[in-house]
Formats: sequence, C-alpha cells, structure tokens
Amino acid sequence: MTAAQELAYMPIEELAGNIQRKEVSPVEVTQALLDRVEQLEPQIHAFNTVFRDEVMEAARAAEAEIRRGAYRGPLHGVPIGIKDIYECGPTTCGSQSLEHYVAEKDCTSVAKLKEAGALILGKTTTYEFAYGFPTKQSYYQPTHNPWNLAHDAGGSSSGTAASTAAGMAYAGMGSCTGGSIRWPAQCCGIVGLKATYGRVSRAGVYPLSWSLDHTGPLARTVTDAALMLQGCAGHDPLDPASANMPVPDFTGKLGQDITGLRIGLLRSIYEDNCDPKLLGPYNQAVQQFERLGAEIIDVPSITLGQLQAIEWPGLFAECAAIHVDNVRNCGDKYNPHVKLFVAYGLLVSGAQYLMGAQVRAQVRDDLLKALDTSVDVLLLPTAGFQVNPIAEDSPGLSIVSADFSVYTPIFNFTGLPAIQVPCGFDTDGLPVGLQIAGKPFDEQTICQVGYAYEQATEWHTQHPEL
Amino acid sequence: MDVKARIAAKLAEWNLELTDVELDKLVLPYENLLRWQRVVEDMRQSRQLVEGMNVPESEPVLVHALDKKGGAS
Repeated sequence: MTAAQELAYMPIEELAGNIQRKEVSPVEVTQALLDRVEQLEPQIHAFNTVFRDEVMEAARAAEAEIRRGAYRGPLHGVPIGIKDIYECGPTTCGSQSLEHYVAEKDCTSVAKLKEAGALILGKTTTYEFAYGFPTKQSYYQPTHNPWNLAHDAGGSSSGTAASTAAGMAYAGMGSCTGGSIRWPAQCCGIVGLKATYGRVSRAGVYPLSWSLDHTGPLARTVTDAALMLQGCAGHDPLDPASANMPVPDFTGKLGQDITGLRIGLLRSIYEDNCDPKLLGPYNQAVQQFERLGAEIIDVPSITLGQLQAIEWPGLFAECAAIHVDNVRNCGDKYNPHVKLFVAYGLLVSGAQYLMGAQVRAQVRDDLLKALDTSVDVLLLPTAGFQVNPIAEDSPGLSIVSADFSVYTPIFNFTGLPAIQVPCGFDTDGLPVGLQIAGKPFDEQTICQVGYAYEQATEWHTQHPEL
Repeated sequence: MDVKARIAAKLAEWNLELTDVELDKLVLPYENLLRWQRVVEDMRQSRQLVEGMNVPESEPVLVHALDKKGGAS
C-alpha cells in the first residue's frame, strides 16, 4: 500500500491518536481524502455532493482547536460521509423530486457529530428515498461496488458503504428500515451498526417507514462503528421515537473475552434458503466463534416467509402514507418502480397492517425471552443472496418476491440492536457478512462479540483494489 | 373482477391512476401480499394475544416500549 492509501484506510481509532498527538493534521487528512474522492468518484459515484470548500474550512478550524489544546475526542478532525436523506445542506434523497432542496439546518445526528468534531466530507448516495433500487436509467447514477464495479453497492446507504470501503471516507451515516445499513455494509465488506430503535435520533432524516426506521453508522471496523455511534447517540425530543436512555461507552466491552458467551442461531430463517456461496463463509464464522469459546445454541424462530409477511406490508403501507400525495402530484419525477412501491403500499389493508404490527410483538417477545433466559446474543447471516450487477432498467417489485432473502428486517421490526461484520468472500470475490443482535440498548455486547470475531480474523484488513 | 381490475379499483379510491403496464407489474406482488396476509393471520391466531378485555398493543407503541420491556443488564 502507498502512504496515501495507508492514510486513507487508517482506522479512526489509530487516526484519532495521530491527530491528538499532532502527528497528522485534519487539514492533511481531509486533503488526502478529497484527492482520493476526486480520483475514485468517476468509477464509484458514492457522493451526490462533496463539500470541498466547507470541509477544508472545518478542517482548518479543527486543526486550530487541537493546536490550542481543545481536543474534542476520537472523531475530531475525522472526515465522514452523510447519507443524502439527512438534512445537511443539499439533500436530494436520491430523487429528482428533491433535486433542488437545501436544508436550512443540520439534522440532530449531524449536529451531534459536528459537535464531536467530525468533518462532513459530503452527502453520500442513496437509493431513491432509501428504497428505490438504482438502475442505469435512474436520474442519479447508481453507486458501484468497490469490490466489483459492475455490481451494485447494496443499499439503501450505498454511498456511505462504498465510500467507506474505498477509503474515500473514514466512516459515515446510513439509515435502516429493512437492512439499509447492514446490507450495503455486507456488500462492501465493512461494518454496519444499527443500534436499538430510539437510540439515535431520526429528526431531520427523511422517513421511509416510521415504525421501522433507524439511523446509524457504517465503518471499516467494529471500534470505528462504536466510536461513530458514540458521536450520534442520545435522546432527542425532536424525534418522537427517541428513547431517553443513558448512553454508555460503546467501546467499553471491546476486547473482553467471549468464552462461555451463549450465541443463539436463528436457523429457521436462513437454513433452507441461503445461497451456499454465502452460507459457507457464515458457517465457518460459527466455527470461529466456537474456537473463541462461545457456546452455540439453536433458538427457535420464525421462517423467512413469516419475516417477509411482517416486514414488507407494514413498510410499504407507511411509505405510501408518506409519499402518496407526491406521487399524485409529481410521480413522473420518481423512478418508475418507486412509484409502483407507493401504489403497492396503498393496497395493504388496515387490518393486515395492524395484524402485522401485533405479530411483531410476538416475535419481539420470543426473542427477548430467549435473550433473557438462554442466550446472550443472536447470530444469523446478513443476507442469503449476493448483490446483483447494476440493473439496466426497472427491477419492478422484486423486493416483495418470496425469494428476496435478506434477513436483516427481523431486527428492524423488533427494534433490537444488530451489527453486521464481514466474514469472508463468496466464490465470486464479493464480501459476505454476518449479523449479531442483542438485548435492547445493549450495543456494548454486540460490539464486544463482533470485535472478538473481527480480531480473530483478517477480513477487516482487506481492501478493494482500485 | 380479475386481480388487475381489483388493483385499479383500489388505487382509484386513492385517486391514483396507473397505466396498464404498471398495473400488470403489480399483479404478482399483490397476490403475494394476499399470501402474506394469510401468513400473518395464521401467526396471530396461533397465540392467545387477548387477555380478558385487554386488546393487544400495536405499533408504534410496541417498539417505543423497548426501554420498558428489556435492556442491558
């Protein structure tokens, strides 16, 4: 690796120490990343907006603060990306319908990250309104996967995942309604941390489905994800779903031994439908956890079909409630399949929506009971299929077909915290991941377990050749 | 009324008109939606959710209550 690449791929934890000791300056770091963005953006397209002047000004201010001894913490002087559905300057939500929208102020989580000293490099690409798959015909260019440029980067937090994986940003913020933090994190071979529902404010972040929406970080290591979460977590009265819970040190349990820790496998969700190309690396990861001293236990759960029946009608109904008026008035500015998604949500009956909401309680209570009595964390693959090549044109409503085997939604509709960690590569060289979930507001333990696995393997040290 | 006509009628109630091609794309997903409706109903009936006259909670109350239902020990 060249010196520039080493700097670009340096973990935040290490970079922060260098910045604090004044061995490297935020200005130098930011300029290096802007150079890298300029070099790689034509291939990757991870940003809708790059704040070239603003971020350099912020870097100079950070450098001056640090020089006079006012170091704020591990995010101080660290350039990050923000998904383009967060209010922060121009905010398109990946939609032509909001092409010219400029936020008047920063949303809560961006304001908190800035307060922690983070530098906002730019607004990263997103699937349209966080759910419309991009195609070669989309108004905004699709984001290319750094591991294979012909493939999608996953979504909907595509740009944050791709820029972080490609060393164009040290980390970034995403949002997650059915898996939009963990799924692109898997696709790009990085860490995605969806904290407990209510842990991170969503105020000022364009909603997709308010009872399922979460916001949170993507980063290259578990430690970096924990540091990012530290910078944005906390109660916010502006978000009606925000939990007024104490915020612990999310790095507090990193490095603690997991010997004797009980890991519950939710086999019924994935075992009969996961592509062997992904199941193989996952099963090897399970063996790795055993070698680390963890006890592996099967936890009875729902099937993939039940997961889909709970997640998607609720998501589409809430999404339709948000978008129906816009689709009536400017539907031609939506991607064709996004307009269909909205129409689809209008077909969900009130009774179906509410029954789905009630069985969410069943599933959540079952998982809480297991976490209270028999296991410490839950484990399953992030997804059962690999990310596709970028589509030529509209994929229609493939997301609601029975074989859409993404396993992430179970922790959206139960609200439990979950972290995606890379666990290898498939036979085509694309990254594979697993997710670890835990008790509500116990992000410390899932980070502990993810970190133990990460440190026992070398997946996090591998970067795409660009 | 066939499925496509039923979809068009439901969307008309929302004052949303789609083309024939768009409606065609909704037929299979709509059938899947009805299948999911049966799945959820079966799940709901597999448990006694109602205690006495207490109706079960529904979202968003459920997830909002996570801080009361569980949490890190």
